[in-house]
Amino acid sequence: MNEKLALSDEILLSISKPERYIGGEVNSVVKNPDDVKIRFAFCFPDVYEIGMSHLGIQILYGLFNEYDDVWCERVFSPWADMDNVLRQEKIPLFALESQDPVKDFDFLGFTLQYEMCYTNILQVLDLSNVPIFAKDRTWDDPIVIGGGPCSYNPEPIADFFDIFYIGEGETKYRELFDLYEKAKEEGVSREEFLYKCSQIHGLYVPSLYDISYNEDGTIKAITPLKEGVPAVVKKEMCTDLTNAYYPMKPVMPFIRVTQDRVVMEVMRGCIRGCRFCQAGQLYRPLRERDVEKLKEYAITLLKNTGYEEISLSSLSTSDYSHLNELLDFLIDYCNEHKVNISLPSLRIDAFSLDVMSKVQDVKKSSLTFAPEAGTQRMRNVINKGLTEEDILRGAHEAFEGGWNKVKLYFMLGLPGETEDDILGIGDIANKIAVEYFETVPKEKRNGRTIDIVASTSFFVPKPFTPFQWASMNTKDEFLDKANITRKGIMSQLNQKHIKYNWHEADASMLEGILARGDRRLAKVIYNVYKRGCIFDAWSEYFKNDIWMEELEKAGLDILFYVKRERTKDEILPWDMIDCGVSKEFLWREWLRSKEGVVSPNCRQACMGCGGAYYGVGICIEPKIGVN
Amino acid sequence: MIKLRLKYKKHGPIRFLGHLDVMRYVQKAIRRAEIDIKYSEGYSPHQILSFAQPLSVGSTTDGDYMDMTLNSMISVEDVVARLQDNMNEGLDVICAKVLPEKCENAMTSVAACEYMISFRNGKEPSFDLKDTFERFMALDTIPAMKKTKNGEKEIDIRPLIFRGEITDDNKIHVLLSAGSASNLKASLFVSSLYRFAGEKEPEFAAVYNRIDTYLSGEDEDGPYVVPMITDVISDASFARTLGNEGKIHV
Repeated sequence: MNEKLALSDEILLSISKPERYIGGEVNSVVKNPDDVKIRFAFCFPDVYEIGMSHLGIQILYGLFNEYDDVWCERVFSPWADMDNVLRQEKIPLFALESQDPVKDFDFLGFTLQYEMCYTNILQVLDLSNVPIFAKDRTWDDPIVIGGGPCSYNPEPIADFFDIFYIGEGETKYRELFDLYEKAKEEGVSREEFLYKCSQIHGLYVPSLYDISYNEDGTIKAITPLKEGVPAVVKKEMCTDLTNAYYPMKPVMPFIRVTQDRVVMEVMRGCIRGCRFCQAGQLYRPLRERDVEKLKEYAITLLKNTGYEEISLSSLSTSDYSHLNELLDFLIDYCNEHKVNISLPSLRIDAFSLDVMSKVQDVKKSSLTFAPEAGTQRMRNVINKGLTEEDILRGAHEAFEGGWNKVKLYFMLGLPGETEDDILGIGDIANKIAVEYFETVPKEKRNGRTIDIVASTSFFVPKPFTPFQWASMNTKDEFLDKANITRKGIMSQLNQKHIKYNWHEADASMLEGILARGDRRLAKVIYNVYKRGCIFDAWSEYFKNDIWMEELEKAGLDILFYVKRERTKDEILPWDMIDCGVSKEFLWREWLRSKEGVVSPNCRQACMGCGGAYYGVGICIEPKIGVN
Repeated sequence: MIKLRLKYKKHGPIRFLGHLDVMRYVQKAIRRAEIDIKYSEGYSPHQILSFAQPLSVGSTTDGDYMDMTLNSMISVEDVVARLQDNMNEGLDVICAKVLPEKCENAMTSVAACEYMISFRNGKEPSFDLKDTFERFMALDTIPAMKKTKNGEKEIDIRPLIFRGEITDDNKIHVLLSAGSASNLKASLFVSSLYRFAGEKEPEFAAVYNRIDTYLSGEDEDGPYVVPMITDVISDASFARTLGNEGKIHV
């Protein structure tokens, strides 16, 4: 363990959770700085406990540290108390392993998981004494690179980054590192290096593009500024997931974090094609890991960590084709070794209930359904292939198996939503309650009863989904809809068994602005940061008023970004990015959604999304047809 | 079934771990080390593992203890070596000893803790430590406000200070009552001394190192305290200089 700490005892004893800042966790990697050519600071721009729960950082941290010439370390947003101390004491932000200042690193990489972390990127740059705007940086500063879901529309934060990595990190970093080492040896300028980066597939260098606007505020043109700079940057993807790097020794936080268990990614991508879901498009095509390999991984990971819980991770684990075999194996192994299995994102059916009854305490655990919308009509619009019959059958079987807690997730503000669709939420919750009373006779309830929690979030249209053209509701519309939902639930016969939660509308509005925003938002992000906005993802820190004031000062219209339905021929701010799924396909899906037509999933039939370009995974499997 | 007591030290950055996090850290190390620890019965089984006296965040120790119950082991040395191999630097097992099966666990049997208290550079007390300490220890009663769950209450801490001296390098070396019945935190002792000297205690002035943790006992000479394991006793400890087989009569 590194004995040297960047912070004095007095500071560490006066702030909350000093363990966030000392490094030295089990499986963290310490190298001799003299033995490496590249120092990479990998940042998750949120608090330690959130960042350390993220699988992507563990994968790339492990992968980079496999390279002898690279030392990758971790950086997180200092929590508000530490932020104050660093500013007051003028202590530069440091990476955890070496405790060395971030500014001295060769690369500063940000994983961009949600829009509400944008001000935290500025916080990390600022506290590191790295110029916030990319144009002000020199070779004295690290190369600032971003990746992850938000890099698919990087435009609102484009001015702060030197490079965006579009796609999955496993493939191109080695090439980038080699280019960097060569550039340093040859002494080329930073500009020249960035130009060469733009020649690597999957790397988007925002400074090499000019964006011009029409009078109505829409984009007129996206123009590469130099010859050879690609007009469109296509997603990088890991084509052989089974043989791709996977971290067998994940770093284990001292403090309890959100994901305090072994996380095993069984597959990447999703066959479902829900029209609101961005991840479902970005990670296409679906690629599975070999089941024998996963069994080996599970044993090794549990041995290397000592964790008492393992979780299977993917967008829709029920679709993993060898799930049965994998779970049989895990249940045997984990029972013997006193390990719990946690199974998020399983569809509720006879099989999953049987598995869950073996690995969880039925009395304590709850069933989760995500119908997303209240009526079948609306579920067809969003292509969520879950019917009321599925839900009630699943609930019936679960109640017979002893469950009595149900969580339901819905979205409000979906395109074309009517009052009936909203009232359908209360309706379906009530039907589940009725199902309980019909399934479980009074004498078998043993003093227990049905307990339903319905939650709604507000729908935010995201780039690279069929709803990227859609109109988003305003705050008032959202709150009205939440009110209708509440009243709808209150009017149900079994309303006292149903609890209703809804999200805040202000944050959803801002998320909507940033998700489909353009480069003009950079100065707003900068200004709100300068006025003290950080941790916008945390409701106790989110200062909506400041955001709204700065948007207005910048002359930007909120409704332009959120409310406006886009036309087919509009140039979208992210049109220089190709996520592997074609715009034509997304437009077809948008039209089908307006007709309420369901599309088959990738296992049933191919809808020609464009993902077949990669020639792997579900795209090269025979189709089973629509039943 | 084997009951094992381990003595460990904790130095370096890992001293900033809270007590619960140290426990979680050790629990996982035990699993990685594949030590055949016994688990409790029931729906969510947990390791039969008990830690003696919690240590404040930021403090170091040369004598903390944990008890574990094992189903089997190759040897005590093997358990210590495996555990040592699976922990980061900073937390190190010093020695271990098999206990009789009917022994009280580490948590409930603690009677005293021994500390070496020094002061951070520039934050040393301005009063004469040796003289003040002698006058302080000569008092019959020392009232102090102890924080409890329901606020504060006044207690007399004098009987809870078993031994004390000022070392040649101007550190406070004390043996204080500990455990669930009558616990005196080292920080409360230090703040009482400052109050007695009429000086305001600067924040984060004192640095605490726990030297050892003690059990109580009684023999023909009366009640005594003794380190939880006497096989390895620190050179700095009262148990070495004053004790007879580690026993210090109190």
